[in-house]
Amino acid sequence: MTQVHALFGGCAALFAAVWTGAVAAADPAPTLTDADEIVDRANLAAYYAGGDGRSEARMLITDSQGRRQLRQFTVLRRDEADGGDQEFLVVFSRPADVRGTVYLVEKHTDRDDDRWLYLPGLDLVKRISAGDKRTSFVGSHYFYEDVSGRLPDADHHQLVETTDEHYVLRHEPHDPDTVEFAEYTTWIDRENFLPMRIDYTNAAGTIYRRVEAQSVDTFQGHPTVTRTLVSDLLSGGTTEMRFRNIAYDIGLPESVFTERSLRAPPRQWLEPNG
Amino acid sequence: MKRLLAAGLIAGVLGITALAAPVSAEESSGNGWEDAWDDDWADEPDRPVWSGFVELAGGTQVVAGETPRDATLGELRGQAETEWLGEGYTLSFKGEVLHDEVLNDTDLEVRELALQVPVGTALDLKAGRQVLTWGTGDLLFLNDLFPKDFESFFAGRDDEYLKAPSNAIRISAYHDWLNAEVVWTPEFEPDRYLDGERFSLFDPAAGAIGVVDPPLDAATPDGLSSGELALRLFKRVRATEYALYAYRGYFKQPSAVNRQGRPTFAPMTAFGMSVRAPLGSGLVNGEFAWYESRDDGNGDDPRVPNSQARWLIGYERELITNLTGAVQYYGERIADYDALRSSAPNRETLPDKWRSLLTARLSYRAMRDTLTLGLFAFVSPSDEDYHLRPTVSYRVSDTWRLSAGANLFGGRKSHTFFGQLEDNSNVYVRLRRYY
Repeated sequence: MTQVHALFGGCAALFAAVWTGAVAAADPAPTLTDADEIVDRANLAAYYAGGDGRSEARMLITDSQGRRQLRQFTVLRRDEADGGDQEFLVVFSRPADVRGTVYLVEKHTDRDDDRWLYLPGLDLVKRISAGDKRTSFVGSHYFYEDVSGRLPDADHHQLVETTDEHYVLRHEPHDPDTVEFAEYTTWIDRENFLPMRIDYTNAAGTIYRRVEAQSVDTFQGHPTVTRTLVSDLLSGGTTEMRFRNIAYDIGLPESVFTERSLRAPPRQWLEPNG
Repeated sequence: MKRLLAAGLIAGVLGITALAAPVSAEESSGNGWEDAWDDDWADEPDRPVWSGFVELAGGTQVVAGETPRDATLGELRGQAETEWLGEGYTLSFKGEVLHDEVLNDTDLEVRELALQVPVGTALDLKAGRQVLTWGTGDLLFLNDLFPKDFESFFAGRDDEYLKAPSNAIRISAYHDWLNAEVVWTPEFEPDRYLDGERFSLFDPAAGAIGVVDPPLDAATPDGLSSGELALRLFKRVRATEYALYAYRGYFKQPSAVNRQGRPTFAPMTAFGMSVRAPLGSGLVNGEFAWYESRDDGNGDDPRVPNSQARWLIGYERELITNLTGAVQYYGERIADYDALRSSAPNRETLPDKWRSLLTARLSYRAMRDTLTLGLFAFVSPSDEDYHLRPTVSYRVSDTWRLSAGANLFGGRKSHTFFGQLEDNSNVYVRLRRYY
């Protein structure tokens, strides 16, 4: 059981159900020049598609020695407001030692997130204190922040290049002591505003970490990243994440995101076509 | 002999662990999940999925002393669980086979066999054998009066085994302005108390620590008239969780003596409350409980425990990245202490009126959470005793896990809760293979 704590302990919460895109524009979008506006659009595209959503997710974790681990879970997401607070419920189905574990997160933009973890072996609803958001999410190479979204206000943004396909931006943290990077660069798709690649640079000027969107499909008009890869460029470890059975605006009520769902996961909403 | 056995088991566990890494590397190119991944999500089959583990564990005492056995843990355990999902119900099962070499016993245990049914939109019913937990304490229980298994806890089994299952019906009702839960346990389910079979204890008759032989065998209330009823009302307002509790049943430990001089469980009614909320970058929790001893209203019957107040305050926060720290202060006050003192047959071993206990937890995660180092300490300034629990757990792969740790006890007096266990200090190692 200790290990299950460990899997969830510090890493915080959850998944923005998926990286999703804003409604694909029919006409070519006008070229933007304001970095903050591009970042806000990207934040909405990647983390706030529809009013709510459901997705199944799978992670393949490969360490630097080639050893592999898997995680499988279903995510329910509900937005209080676009760009604002969100709720997540994550129900793990594999592997055996985390099966039945449920994670509930209320993401806040103005204070620390509220997080709970249900450990079925003990019937324990464990509340988790706020922690460093740049630590491993359930043993993978993803950080909490990669999947729930880094607040746009946390960094200073600069548009460095506009190519045919991408806006290329450089971001520097307002508070360098709270993060492990010195800066990062994103390649944001000019059509759908999804971040297609993020390179993290350390204080020595070395790119040590990369997140890439490998596959994008459109569901209910929302371009959505369905395959993504994070690489630890120093050690060689990677985590690949895939999503399926994606649905938006399924009408998730607020009551799904309560203690009740920890002990009795809401099958009606978790199963596809439920 | 038993010490040899424990040493052998520990060596065996370590030996198998040396094999585990290559085994898991093989697995990653073998069948199962990897194929499912490459096949792009083979759907979950309609039939129930079975999962579980096999675990080998060994432990031995680390100090010379009088104990029933040198080995404190030596067992092979298999667990299997599944769920049947029906139209409008879920039937869940978790069962175990345990061969316990220390007690020379092989047993089957059902930890869960329960039917879960939503009734209407606002009620959940769960009936059958199940593990039950509530309250805010970390390894301290005030309003959680569901059965615990302290022998497992002190022998180095997984934390999961601190909670013993009950045969009960749990009804949970949810509403915007209040949630309520009632748990009815038709027949009293006591704690799995320390009976002296595995550990030496304080023997009141001898006035000293020793091997209790024959083991303690408490008279347990049974039949439907012995049922327990537990209630929790709870609500969250923004980030703060509030709860009120009530319980009618028995003290969960055999702290009373019946007319035949046998240990037994005294009738008890409890009331309590708890609060949990973020504070600074951490979490603070507070809990209070009043235990009313129904057969000892004046507190002057030495055979029946007195009424008691218990309280707790705790704080937890991340100290640095991947290192979490937590502290708790816990207090107990015995009511009508003067009456108890004047009627006590032996004042020397009488518990203090006030008992205080401090706990500290440190938990460090490394190597992308595959390695966990932990330390949990109980220290009682009033009883002058302690219990330390260092642990290390390594998740070798999705299927293999190696855990090791120690349970260290000590104290100035022989009759206090942790002090009496001094000779039973032990180290253990466990190897688990999930399937």
